[in-house]
Amino acid sequence: MPTLIEQARSNKPAAASILPRAIWPLLVGLAIGALMFYVIGPGMGDYPSKIVLIAGINIILAVSLTVVNGFTGQFSMGHAGFMAVGGYVAATITYYGSMKLFGSADPAGGVLSFTGGADKPTALARWGDALFIGSCLMGGVGAAIAGYIVGLPSLRLRGDYLAIVTLGFGEIVRVLLQGTHEQIQPWRVEDALAKPVYELAISLGGPKGFQLLPTYTTLFWVYLFVVVTLIICYRVKNSSTGRAFLSIREDEIAAQAMGVDITKYKVRAFVLAAFFAGVAGGLYAMDIGAINAGDLGFLKSFDIIIMVVLGGMGSISGAALAAIILTILPELLRNPPPVWPVGLVLIALIAGVSSYRKRFRWKPIIVIAIASTLLEVGRQIALSKGINVADFRLILYALLLITMMLVRPQGIFGIHEIWEILPGYARREAARNGARGGSQGGKP
Amino acid sequence: MTQFLQTLFDGVTVGCLYALIALGYTMVYGILKFINFAHSDVFALGVWMSITIAGWIGIGAAGEPVPPWYMGVLVMLLAMGVCGAVGFTVERIAYRPLRGAPRINVLITAIGVSLFLQNFGQLRWIFGAYPKAFPTLLGDQTLFSLAGVNFRLSDAAVIGTAVALMAALQYLIFRTKMGAAMRAVSFSPRNASLMGINVDLVISFTFVVGTMLAAAAGFLYGVKYGGQAKQTADSMWVMLGLKAFVAAVVGGIGNVRGAVLGGLLIGLIEWFGVAYLGSQYRDAYVFAILILVLLFRPAGVLGKATIEKV
Amino acid sequence: MSTPPIVLDVQGISISFGGLKAVQNFSLKLPRGRLYGLIGPNGAGKTTVFNLLTGVYQADSGTITLDGVKLNGLKPHQIAAAGLSRTFQNIRLFGELSVLDNVRLACHLRGKHSIWSTILRSAYHMGQEAAIHRRSLDLLGILGLDSRAGEQARNLPYGDQRRLEIARALATDPKVLLLDEPAAGMNPQEKKSLRDLIRQIMRQFDVTILLIEHDMGVVMDICERITVLDYGVTIAEDVPKEIQKNPKVIEAYLGEAAPAAH
Repeated sequence: MPTLIEQARSNKPAAASILPRAIWPLLVGLAIGALMFYVIGPGMGDYPSKIVLIAGINIILAVSLTVVNGFTGQFSMGHAGFMAVGGYVAATITYYGSMKLFGSADPAGGVLSFTGGADKPTALARWGDALFIGSCLMGGVGAAIAGYIVGLPSLRLRGDYLAIVTLGFGEIVRVLLQGTHEQIQPWRVEDALAKPVYELAISLGGPKGFQLLPTYTTLFWVYLFVVVTLIICYRVKNSSTGRAFLSIREDEIAAQAMGVDITKYKVRAFVLAAFFAGVAGGLYAMDIGAINAGDLGFLKSFDIIIMVVLGGMGSISGAALAAIILTILPELLRNPPPVWPVGLVLIALIAGVSSYRKRFRWKPIIVIAIASTLLEVGRQIALSKGINVADFRLILYALLLITMMLVRPQGIFGIHEIWEILPGYARREAARNGARGGSQGGKP
Repeated sequence: MTQFLQTLFDGVTVGCLYALIALGYTMVYGILKFINFAHSDVFALGVWMSITIAGWIGIGAAGEPVPPWYMGVLVMLLAMGVCGAVGFTVERIAYRPLRGAPRINVLITAIGVSLFLQNFGQLRWIFGAYPKAFPTLLGDQTLFSLAGVNFRLSDAAVIGTAVALMAALQYLIFRTKMGAAMRAVSFSPRNASLMGINVDLVISFTFVVGTMLAAAAGFLYGVKYGGQAKQTADSMWVMLGLKAFVAAVVGGIGNVRGAVLGGLLIGLIEWFGVAYLGSQYRDAYVFAILILVLLFRPAGVLGKATIEKV
Repeated sequence: MSTPPIVLDVQGISISFGGLKAVQNFSLKLPRGRLYGLIGPNGAGKTTVFNLLTGVYQADSGTITLDGVKLNGLKPHQIAAAGLSRTFQNIRLFGELSVLDNVRLACHLRGKHSIWSTILRSAYHMGQEAAIHRRSLDLLGILGLDSRAGEQARNLPYGDQRRLEIARALATDPKVLLLDEPAAGMNPQEKKSLRDLIRQIMRQFDVTILLIEHDMGVVMDICERITVLDYGVTIAEDVPKEIQKNPKVIEAYLGEAAPAAH
């Protein structure tokens, strides 16, 4: 029997089909980014599109944390630390880089940007977006290096000990960043030009945070990265690497016995997750125009963990969905809309589908009916008493987390993607396996 | 020299507080093998209950005369009682149904409980989101000075109470029937139940004792630092609690004497770090120690390594 | 008939936990293409021997050599890469993963998986994944599990889980396969087909097998030679017929039950 490597070599598809497979995620990302920027963003107005942008950043954070917490089963509580590392690296390069290259810390739009920039004096000054996106990637690299360092202790520690170490790492990052020197203000460009790079790299604003950053982040960049992150994580999950991650989570001893180098894969998971968190940090910093390590402590890490836990420990689409819902939820709670129409539609759907399949199911209908009624009663009470439900948001999350662990500890979708639990998926998958296996499969 | 002695003294005082909180972590870990992440919030609850109870009784408000010492003890005992009840409820509702579940699930639940306690406490009908001053329950007089270091009444209260509580705990664990049951459950819950020990009862009891110690630590914290900083009900407590957890790990988690040793060690390291290396990295020292200990002696100073059965 | 070359050579390994000497001075020479058995009463140290061989525990003394490669000090995954694979007595499947993915994961060992080619889905990566997919389905076919490929491993019936463990171990392409009580919990019918299956596997995969088993019917039927452990000490090593007559072995087993009655 030829080895797998030999088989793989003999199995090369035509060269023409290779490139598109590597490139199409980027093209889709560009397309969706452009769509968000040109059509959806302007169509929604300023405030909603801001929410959509933050949702995008949260998707990147949640999906990347899924790689460590969901796939590999290591419990990282320091994801915000990676975000902080990436954010500060990106902010430093963009801010001081702008000063050094363009002579000012203002945004220098142009070629890649959609924010204009024809008014800029020199050709160089139109490359601000390139600097920005390069610095975000460098932020990702910086965070990935941090991820490598944090991944190393995970070789020796398991479960809750690792959780505490990652949390400690996040706090150390925060403390170190808050101990940096005052930043050089944008109106003192000459000082920045005079100072050597290593001195600039430790002038990051200290406890006050790194402020007055050029705001380059747009829906385009965020959703470009969202798409790329989603596709890369999906590809990793459905590959030998992803199965190795999952096997570590399921049973480390069996994984080792099957030849999985758990050390290597744990570090890999941390590096991958940290990279995307770092990029998200860069996007976050240059969206707000400031980054403060104090905001990126363990509470921020918990926010991301909640998204992953709710969405499903190991479900990419689940984590993304949870990120969207949890970003929008506070806004909705501020002025809660009635939920019962959605409940009615759901009940109608379930009733329709289940009677079509001749297997009528009462249980979900009753649950939805009761939940809708309760929500409506609660909403009416809140409205009549003038209570701002958004104030209870964190209590709600906490209760949600506790209930989730009691009722469905694997999260809403578990390790499955949303489309995998749709009816018919299992049948199609079985047909696919049968078709491939039938022709070459051996007989028992 | 004065600075050295002062730092040593401060370190020991804070170390006593850490040790009290660490005892709760270590007892729960010893029996249930999980990090009760909400323990630091029980500690915060101890501070806040002390403020509230003192307010109800009507003592210690600013400008009023200092109440007699036994009123302070009363406030502490009441706060311990309330926190014990909260600890019992939390264990009953959130943790008991997860007996036997993967550790990570229990940890996530504990995070949920922690978030809940933090944010519930901040509701305006409970403690409110704004800082309050800790009532004056002890006089601020200096008992004596040694080589320029002042030994205050509040320090005496902190160290004295802490030592008394630790001695009581030591007696409870090693000299009473309940303590023997606790040690048995810690060794093996299944075997303990076969020996006729009511495991659920022992676990509830352990939780209550642990939370009461944290509440006492909260009260003592208020007495020691209440005058200097106003108290808020937010996440700052998590950091203090986490340091206590680090103390438990450094001493060897699951080991009661280790928790005391670790608490003192962490208190000293933190204060010497602050005094001689700079205060802005205060939190980093503790976590750096944690990472070093876990890397080089994962079972802690007094802990024993265990082998996983295949 | 000349003896084939020794593929697994174990020389005097020992390990103790605290004061307990779990395995003492265990030796074994396993010739290529043979099927040897390892038996002994409960707690005799059989599984500990497997754990020593696969690197879960490190031996205090002695050497383990697989096809000329010294295994002492290697990590479990390196030992698997060297060609020693195993099943577990207390089934350790990846329960949340599908049956197919359990086997595909084990195929992972014989490939190269760079993160870049995974992300970019290079031609090499796609070819390798397709090959893994095919090979896994083949293996499942041989073990009679192909109709269950899409199910979650933990939902399989007990006997199927045992066979999936064998499929998974075979997917690592081992030279020597260690089977830890493969017949445990099986009914007589399943045990009979398991015997046939093990013989078929040996022929088809050119693999050498060391078997721990409590079911004497299975052991005496298929093993060519048997080593008997008691309290960590090797008390006999011979062909099945002689083992059945060996007074020491009978004595060791009398504590629980006569060997044939089990």
